Amino acid sequence: MTGTIPGRARAVVRLGAIVATAALALAACSSSPSTPRASSAKTYTIAYEGPLSGGNSQLGLFQKFAVQLAINQANAGTTFGHLPFKLAFLPEDDQGSPTQAPTAAQAVLGQSATMAVIGPAFSGASKAADPLYNQAGLAMVTPSATDPTLQTNGWKNFFRVVADDDSQGPADAQYIVKKLADKTIYAIDDASAYAQGLVGAFDTEATSIGAKITHETAPGTTQCQAGTGNVQQYGALATKVKSSGDSAVFYAGYYCDFALLAKALRGAGFTGQMVSDDGSESDTLITQAGATVAAGALASCACQDITQNSAATSFNSGFKKLAGFAPGIYSGEAYDATNAVISVMKKLGSNVTRAKVVSGLHSVSYKGLTKTVAFQSDGNISGNTVYIYKVEGAHFVQLGSVAQLVGS
Amino acid sequence: MCFTHSFWALTVQGLSDGFLYALIALGYTLVYGVLQLINFAHSEVFMSGGFAGYFVLRTLIGSSSPHGASSVGLVVVGIAAGAAAGGVVAFLLERVAYRPLRRHNAPRLAFLISAIGASFFLYNLAGKEFGRDSVSIPAPFNLSGTVFTVFGAPVQTYEIVIAVSAVIMLVLLDRLVAVTRLGRGIRAVAQDADTAALMGVDIDRTISQTFVIGGLLGGAAGFLFGLSSGVVYTMGFTPGLKAFTAAVLGGIGNVRGAVLGGLLLGVTENLGVACVQSSWRDVIAFGILVLVLLVRPTGLLGERLGRSA
Amino acid sequence: MSISAGTVGAPIRSGLAWVRSDSGRRLGGWILGALILALMTGPSGNDSAPTAGFTGSLLQPRVLVFLGLAVALWVLTNIRRRYGERIRAASDHVTGTPSRLLRTRRARYGLYVAVLAVAIAYPPTLSGFWQEVLVDQIGVFVLLAVGLNVVVGYAGLLDLGYIAFFAIGAYSGAYWTGALPVHPPFHVNPFWAIPLAVLAAMLAGVVLGAPTLRLRGDYLAIVTLGFGEIIQIVATNLQGVTGGAEGVSGIPHFSVHLAGVKYQWGLSNLPYYYLLLGFVVVVLVAFRALENSRVGRAFTAIREDEVAAEAVGINILKYKVMAFSIGASTSGFAGLLEASKISFVSSQDFTVQMSILVLVLVIFGGMGSLPGAVAGAAFLQWVPQILRQHPLFGYQPQDLYIYLGALLVVMMIFRPEGMIPSRRRRREIVLAETGVGTADAISGSSDPAVRP
Repeated sequence: MTGTIPGRARAVVRLGAIVATAALALAACSSSPSTPRASSAKTYTIAYEGPLSGGNSQLGLFQKFAVQLAINQANAGTTFGHLPFKLAFLPEDDQGSPTQAPTAAQAVLGQSATMAVIGPAFSGASKAADPLYNQAGLAMVTPSATDPTLQTNGWKNFFRVVADDDSQGPADAQYIVKKLADKTIYAIDDASAYAQGLVGAFDTEATSIGAKITHETAPGTTQCQAGTGNVQQYGALATKVKSSGDSAVFYAGYYCDFALLAKALRGAGFTGQMVSDDGSESDTLITQAGATVAAGALASCACQDITQNSAATSFNSGFKKLAGFAPGIYSGEAYDATNAVISVMKKLGSNVTRAKVVSGLHSVSYKGLTKTVAFQSDGNISGNTVYIYKVEGAHFVQLGSVAQLVGS
Repeated sequence: MCFTHSFWALTVQGLSDGFLYALIALGYTLVYGVLQLINFAHSEVFMSGGFAGYFVLRTLIGSSSPHGASSVGLVVVGIAAGAAAGGVVAFLLERVAYRPLRRHNAPRLAFLISAIGASFFLYNLAGKEFGRDSVSIPAPFNLSGTVFTVFGAPVQTYEIVIAVSAVIMLVLLDRLVAVTRLGRGIRAVAQDADTAALMGVDIDRTISQTFVIGGLLGGAAGFLFGLSSGVVYTMGFTPGLKAFTAAVLGGIGNVRGAVLGGLLLGVTENLGVACVQSSWRDVIAFGILVLVLLVRPTGLLGERLGRSA
Repeated sequence: MSISAGTVGAPIRSGLAWVRSDSGRRLGGWILGALILALMTGPSGNDSAPTAGFTGSLLQPRVLVFLGLAVALWVLTNIRRRYGERIRAASDHVTGTPSRLLRTRRARYGLYVAVLAVAIAYPPTLSGFWQEVLVDQIGVFVLLAVGLNVVVGYAGLLDLGYIAFFAIGAYSGAYWTGALPVHPPFHVNPFWAIPLAVLAAMLAGVVLGAPTLRLRGDYLAIVTLGFGEIIQIVATNLQGVTGGAEGVSGIPHFSVHLAGVKYQWGLSNLPYYYLLLGFVVVVLVAFRALENSRVGRAFTAIREDEVAAEAVGINILKYKVMAFSIGASTSGFAGLLEASKISFVSSQDFTVQMSILVLVLVIFGGMGSLPGAVAGAAFLQWVPQILRQHPLFGYQPQDLYIYLGALLVVMMIFRPEGMIPSRRRRREIVLAETGVGTADAISGSSDPAVRP
């Protein structure tokens, strides 16, 4: 019969492993982090910090490849023509977690050639890592961390290329209450940091303009990747919504959960308006919910529809070639953030320092795919237009900006 | 009461959830009966059924919308695919993660830890190989169409499909355990493994077959679950825990108890959510688990597999 | 006819017989393991190309490397089996040396002092990244592993919701320093919140433990898993109390201000590291004393045979709750340290996966073994970081849990006592394998749930 491998032989293996480990450890710990190969041109690094593993990795990958594409194109001379330096790319994984973020930040800061970091992608990770970036004076340009308290810490090197939660929520409320004239709204969040903030802002604004809000939390599946969100809950939730008699549903969360909710709502006989946010603004929603169920659903996004932008076609194909899949949420923003940084660096010529990048970003005005990138004094993006999209057929179609639609 | 307003709607949904729990719970209860082991990795058996059903149906349906007889055929194929995948995974699980431990006379803790390790391994591997994004199974029929109403509560096609398939599988299982030689073997091993061995029952083979049966049911449940809720590599965790709760509620080791427990849990969960926020749904289920274990640990139908089916 | 069938059949039959033999089975095992490893380190697929990962890993030349390795290892183990005695005698001298040298107490203390000296002197020479890893990844998890070791290793209770105590420590710290939406009756300096956080965690241990520790092992595991989930759900739902998923920031860093000694912790890692080191040393000394104390012996008795322990007059429930509570204490401190260091706490951090990760660390190192828990945790937390800097042969960081899961199964099959086992534990397991006694409190009795 098979038995355990005798202890002594195991001890040899163990001893060998310990020795090998120790050797590796000494080698690793004493070696300096790899520096870019010296070439005739100077090489600067742009880093990306976000979730590259774990449950949220898809979001991180959408952004990471966009940053990488921007850098590749800049090196090839496509976007900015000839540059007086070469750019290197340093992706760092923080798993979207505040406890992993400082380690990733240290890895980024460990390279003296790093001139800017795109990210962190998540608000929680930002809160943990940004103090370190601030201490080091490294420009941090986040394409997706929308927590509105981030720009209130007095960090001079904080920049954000999307509208924060405090703009999107109220805009959505204005649209639903004033334009759609739905005064009874069932607001549901997916228990994520982003959604709770969004619904909080939505609630406050909607109540102040005369709507009645029923708020409920229904844990979702974390960007449709993982999490222990309960996919079976939407049936009972839909029944609750139907029996509440509310005329509209506002869901803050992601497309896979919104698809399940939409199917359940229609199945329970709810005929009112369904509205969600940029997490749901994706054609996959229509595939997963079915065209009949999704018809007429709305989504808001502080982003322009990039398919109407001719430059986006080459971005889309370039991204697909690099990553192997089509770009997704915040890809465009990450691309624009990187290009904004590169444009600043180009202006500085061959003498780029971290401090100069920071001050350069404060006065940048770069016309990107999704918007013109310019920042307010606290780092927030200038102009926080929120657009409304509607499901027509198999795609989301942009209706216009909230300001336009409500004003008309 | 807070749930009387939508009582029937919630009960219908609860029964639908409950049948799924019952199918999964049977896997836990059968394995527990013969091995006194919680097969923590059964949730991954469930998940593999979901993926199998997804790939098969995606190949067969593509983007068409079937109806009529072809719908029925597709549902049967999907269930078969899910069950087959579940059976295979359960078989491999027993061979790789548990049998070596039985040979070594390992302590009980080791089985549980191995189960946890196997569970982690399987679902993360599925995520790596099949992608981590959630996917939806192409519908073989119109899932949200209402077939009829019960006291004003809509009963959807999907819920009927689940009920019918589940009942058929449960009846088959009940007969299998009560009447066939295999079933007698399972009950014998559950009652007293050593004596059963003396009586000529091949213990290893019986245990393997028990795992496979549980796997067939769990895999089929995975497909049915995925039809409405989509398939993702982490889909097994929560339904697995709930199904285990159902098995305990009904009486671990008791086949009919698992069914009763599943239905009861499904209905209670859904009715409960009418009174509190949806986010407390899982707390209700775990609360039931703790309560049952503290107050009546043998469960509602309290008898073990060995004594009655 | 029969002659030709016989001449063809005989080699086939003997071939099949060999496959079914021990040797053949072992080769099969090695090959299966190699194929699985090839799959794990191979490329990934996605839902539109589900077989891409399989074909990319198994139908490529690289699989031959793995198969070759499997055959080589099979041959080596065969040789070792056959010439086992001679090899053992020869290697005895080498492998026995560490344990022989460490037999005397003086030698062991000498080793500990040496390790401590390195632990104090080496970190300042590390880069910022490695210092961060030392605190956030290694230090915190060593503390967690040492605490869980008391629960799982000493008392034999499988706790799958251990991260709940970490959460409680973090939230306590946030509460007493006034960072939560609900305010405490008086504010304290975060340094003085340490005993409060530890106390809160221990209290939680008693509260969670008292009702559930009556249950036998399997059920206890599931219930603790459920509790871990519940704590996270409650923290997310009660936004008004805990800040929910958005979390609370502004938790101040540690600062000490007493009797002329004034020190403020900031963003730099070394001060946190030394604080952690101090705490770890204190805990290790305390737990070592615990092991050899009356309480520790009670734990061992409970773990080895609960019925006999009860018969001897040990109050099982009391000691189990005590183990739970003591184990929770280190977790509480770790939670507070982390919360104070990054100045932020959110419910999204406290996942079941983290609980199970700590379990893997303890099991890898050795259940019930203090040096095992420390070394195992440090090693397993260090490896992913080194692989991050120097990627190896097919390893992708998102696949980490595949490796950890496989590690758990392999450990349970081949070395359940862990890499650096406690001697007592190893003896228990060896005895269990030979059929003498059972190795833990969860014996093969067929009654469900509750102990009589």
